[in-house]
Amino acid sequence: MNILIGTLLLWGLALITLRRMTRQAKGELPDVFARTRTTMAFMIPRVFVGLVGAGFMAELLPVDQIEQYFGEGSGFYGIILATALGAITPGGPFVAFAIGAACLKAGAGLPPLIAYITAWSVMNLNRAFAYELPLMGRQFLLLRSAVSLPLPLILGGLMLLF
Amino acid sequence: MQTESPPPGSSTPRKLIDGSLIFITLIAVIAGVAVWIQKGSARFWEIFAHETWFTIALTPKILAGVFIASSLPFLISRERIQALIGPDSGLRGLAIATLAGVIIPGGPSVTFPLTIGLMTAGADLGAGVALVSGWVLIGLNRTLIWELSFLPPEVVALRVALSLPAPIIMGWAVRRFMNRGAQ
Repeated sequence: MNILIGTLLLWGLALITLRRMTRQAKGELPDVFARTRTTMAFMIPRVFVGLVGAGFMAELLPVDQIEQYFGEGSGFYGIILATALGAITPGGPFVAFAIGAACLKAGAGLPPLIAYITAWSVMNLNRAFAYELPLMGRQFLLLRSAVSLPLPLILGGLMLLF
Repeated sequence: MQTESPPPGSSTPRKLIDGSLIFITLIAVIAGVAVWIQKGSARFWEIFAHETWFTIALTPKILAGVFIASSLPFLISRERIQALIGPDSGLRGLAIATLAGVIIPGGPSVTFPLTIGLMTAGADLGAGVALVSGWVLIGLNRTLIWELSFLPPEVVALRVALSLPAPIIMGWAVRRFMNRGAQ
C-alpha cells in the first residue's frame, strides 16, 4: 500500500517534470531518456541482488532474542547494545518500530529505545547493503557512516542524563 | 554512444559490473546458501520469490525517481544548485539540503537517485550527506506514517527534537573532512 501511494506520488512528480522538460528543454529529452535507461540498467540488478541478499540475511538474524537485551537500568552498556542491534535490524520501518514498541511495553527504558531507533535510522546495514553501497558508492557510505556512528550513543547518553 | 555517458551522480562513467556489485552478489550467495542449509530449500525459495516480487513492485517507483533525477540538471541551472547547496553554500546550504531530505516522499529507491541527481547538478558531498541524514533521521513520511503509529507521540517528539541539528552537523563534518583532503 505504502509502495502504491509513493509510486503514484512520484509519477505525478515525474509527469510535472516531463511537462517542464518539454517546455524548457525539449531538445534535451532524448538525452534524459538515455540517462534514465542507463541508470535503470545500472540500478535494477543492484536493487534486486541487494534485496534478495538482505532478505536472506534477515532470515539468519535471531530477532526473537533482541528484546531480552534491552533491560531497564542497563545503562550505557544497554545503549551500546541497542545501537548495535539497531544497525543490524533488517526490514522496513514496520519491523524496527514494532520491535521498539514491543520493548517499550516490556519495560525497556527510553535511553536504549532512542539509541535503537536512531541507530536503525542512520546506520541500517540492510539499507546500506541493498541501496546505499551499490548506488552511492563506498566513499559516500563510509563518510556518512563515520559522521553518523556517534549519534545514537550521544542521544542515548543524553537520555540517560534526563 | 549512450553507454559511454555517465549516469547522473558519477563524474566518471560507471561500469555495469563493478566491485560493489560483485561484493553484494557474493554476500547474497553466502547468505542464501546459509538459509538453504539452516532453514531448507522451501524457505529459500519463499524469500527469493518475495524479494523478486518486491523488486518488480519497486521498479515503476524507481523509474519515476530516476527520470526526475536525470531531468534535474537540465531544469535547474548548475549555478543555482551550486549557490543553494554547493560546497560554498555554508550552513544555510546544509539546512536547505536537510529540509529537502525531510520532505522527500520516497524510500531509498527514490532518495538515493535524487541525491545523485542533485550532486551531479552541483551539490557537494556534505550537502548530500545532510540530505540523506535529514531523510533517515526525521523524514516526514516515515515519522508521520510509521513511527507515530507504533510509538507514543512524546517519545517521537523527543527523538525528533534531539535529532534536529544532527544532519547539519554531519554535513558540516563531511565538508571539513573533504576540505582537508583537498589541501
